[in-house]
Amino acid sequence: MEIKEIKARVIKVIAEVLETEASVIGEEDNFIFDLGADSMQSLQLVAGFEEEFDIEMDEDKALEVQTVGDAVDFIAQYL
Amino acid sequence: MDYRNLTETEISLLEAQGCYCRDWPVVWVAPPFDPGLIHGVRFEGEVKLSGLHGMVAPDGETPRPAGLYSCFLRNCEIHGPVYISQVGRLEGYTVEKDVSIENVSSIFVDGPTAFGNGVEAEVLNEGGGREVLIFEQLTAQIAYLMANYRHEPEMIARLKGLIRAYCENRRSERGVIGAGASIRGAQSIRNVNFGPKARIGGVQLLEEGTVAGCAEAPALVGEGVIARRFVIQSGSTVDSGAILEKCFVGQGVRIGKQFSAENSLFFANCEAFHGEAVSLFAGPYTVTHHKSSLLIAGLFSFFNAGSGTNQSNHMYKLGPVHQGRLERGCKTGSFSYLLWPCRIGAFSVVMDKHGSNFDTADFPFSYLTVEDGKSILTPAMNLFTVGTRRDSEKWPARDRRHDPDRLDLIRFELLSPYIAGKIIRGSEILQTLYEQASKEQKYVRYQGIHILRLLLKTCRKYYQLALKKYYGEQLARRLESRPPDSLSQLRDALQPKEGGDGDWVDLAGLLAPAAAVREVLEAVKGGEVKSVEQLRSRLAAIDGNYEEYAWSWYAGTLEKEMGISIGRATKEQLAGLIREWRASSVKLNNMTLKDAEKEFDQNSRIGFGADGGEEVMTADFSAVRGGYESNAFVRRLRAENEEVEKKAAFWEKELERLLG
Repeated sequence: MEIKEIKARVIKVIAEVLETEASVIGEEDNFIFDLGADSMQSLQLVAGFEEEFDIEMDEDKALEVQTVGDAVDFIAQYL
Repeated sequence: MDYRNLTETEISLLEAQGCYCRDWPVVWVAPPFDPGLIHGVRFEGEVKLSGLHGMVAPDGETPRPAGLYSCFLRNCEIHGPVYISQVGRLEGYTVEKDVSIENVSSIFVDGPTAFGNGVEAEVLNEGGGREVLIFEQLTAQIAYLMANYRHEPEMIARLKGLIRAYCENRRSERGVIGAGASIRGAQSIRNVNFGPKARIGGVQLLEEGTVAGCAEAPALVGEGVIARRFVIQSGSTVDSGAILEKCFVGQGVRIGKQFSAENSLFFANCEAFHGEAVSLFAGPYTVTHHKSSLLIAGLFSFFNAGSGTNQSNHMYKLGPVHQGRLERGCKTGSFSYLLWPCRIGAFSVVMDKHGSNFDTADFPFSYLTVEDGKSILTPAMNLFTVGTRRDSEKWPARDRRHDPDRLDLIRFELLSPYIAGKIIRGSEILQTLYEQASKEQKYVRYQGIHILRLLLKTCRKYYQLALKKYYGEQLARRLESRPPDSLSQLRDALQPKEGGDGDWVDLAGLLAPAAAVREVLEAVKGGEVKSVEQLRSRLAAIDGNYEEYAWSWYAGTLEKEMGISIGRATKEQLAGLIREWRASSVKLNNMTLKDAEKEFDQNSRIGFGADGGEEVMTADFSAVRGGYESNAFVRRLRAENEEVEKKAAFWEKELERLLG
């Protein structure tokens, strides 16, 4: 899968979980400080990515991912 | 005791010292008797005096020569050195040695009374039907059975019979002020018994009750207290304006700061300040410290109430008939509200205002929140929080019971067959909900509550982690307690006995196989248990066999869940359990450490560094809160990780040696 598609789908999941407009989510955005994700939403994001891409991620490492761009790169490793 | 009448000389001397009696022959004294120790005393009815000499020194008070000064005594027996001064009316009591009573308006017994024993407290359901008879030997377990097993009327009738027999034995026309007790500055005390070394200071009103206690654990009732129809047990403190009506206060309890309670039971180590309790069943370690917190018509244990915690138990229809149950270890956040009926799973945290009724008993370690008016359950989230770990460490350390006879049976385990059984059930439910849910759904509904569909799998995963930890930990503990030196010893150590299978119950602190409890209930029903003492002893025997019951449950569960027969398990199976224990324990601890990290992040520093910039904020924070790396809790958890690694490596090696 191409990075561009991964990014689009990652943003779609983020928008759904955090209930925000996809258009305001940027690659450099930090999940906590810029997008306001709390710990529960962080877990939902990991679950959402796993469902979206049908993958099982190392959850500890997944929860350490800070930005949208890093999430895209992290997920790409599983595809 | 050989008593005699006063001599004419003694009577003359007493009268010269301001004493008066209409009928001196009713005053009896046992030699040696020194009338010089009695001044300004009016005697009435039969009064017996013995041992009135020497010094009186209740704990913490200045020693004073024994004597009776400015008081009115009616129908009393005084045994040993006592100091009684400025007492408007002391009637119907046996006063034991070393008692000090001073500045008391009246303290009297005015007829046959059981001193609070046998009072019915309408707990759990304000509408009635769950009344618990309070009495001096009441335990959390007996109260639990009496309040909750109403579906077994024959057993309940027998149980009440046992208790009533106990209470009848306590009935008397004479009260006792136990050796070494001190009663000072009290207003009205009527029909109250006082145990050894009881300390009563500045109470406003005590009526129909018992302040029990023993030399090792005296009870204290302090200033401004109003208590009617009550039992206060050893080592407890009730003071600073508390108001109690039809209440049992168990061992090591603290109630004060104007807390008011009616029809409520407080078992071991509860703390209740400022707020209010109505029809409360406060199991061991129930704590409510804040103003405007109301605990009503609910069963709690190991519970911590946030400020403004509240519940509603009626909806203006058939009266206050609803009730709730928060299983052990729950917490409520500030201004959380629950609409009874509700049941909350163990070790859960309730936040926000919930306006629906739900049952989450199969989901321990959960968060309950509200979003868009919906009650949301997030199972397993409280498995790896700092609060849960700290609570589980602090409870045993805060056991204030020093009475050699501890009434309540308390198991402190965070993971036990009871909780592990719930986790297994919760996992199954989550799996079913996951399989049945559509990907279009944001939430799934279960027994009145919503669960985020996306988290069904994640929560189940965390539950599995806890189970793996439990399975391995039990094995390691078993091996540690019976270190095997040979294969046959290993097999012996792992072989379960019978008795712990099936469901477990939490009888307000006692974790026990339901079948074992059933046997006791049948014994009560069949008349085999003939006294409260025998009932306590049967329940204590269950508690005493906890380890074997738990191991038996563990063996059965491993067989069912993982197909491992522990008594005949292979090296690979046992080593696998140990490996998974190591991995899951370390992972859960690391997740808890992550949670602890939040206490040191940028957000936690808000409010620090007054009048300064970021540098001052950091310095101020470090000075007050210290650093993450040096935090005692963090260090403990890290040390525990090292310990688990070490133990796991050891047992893997040992299993290799024994099963090689």
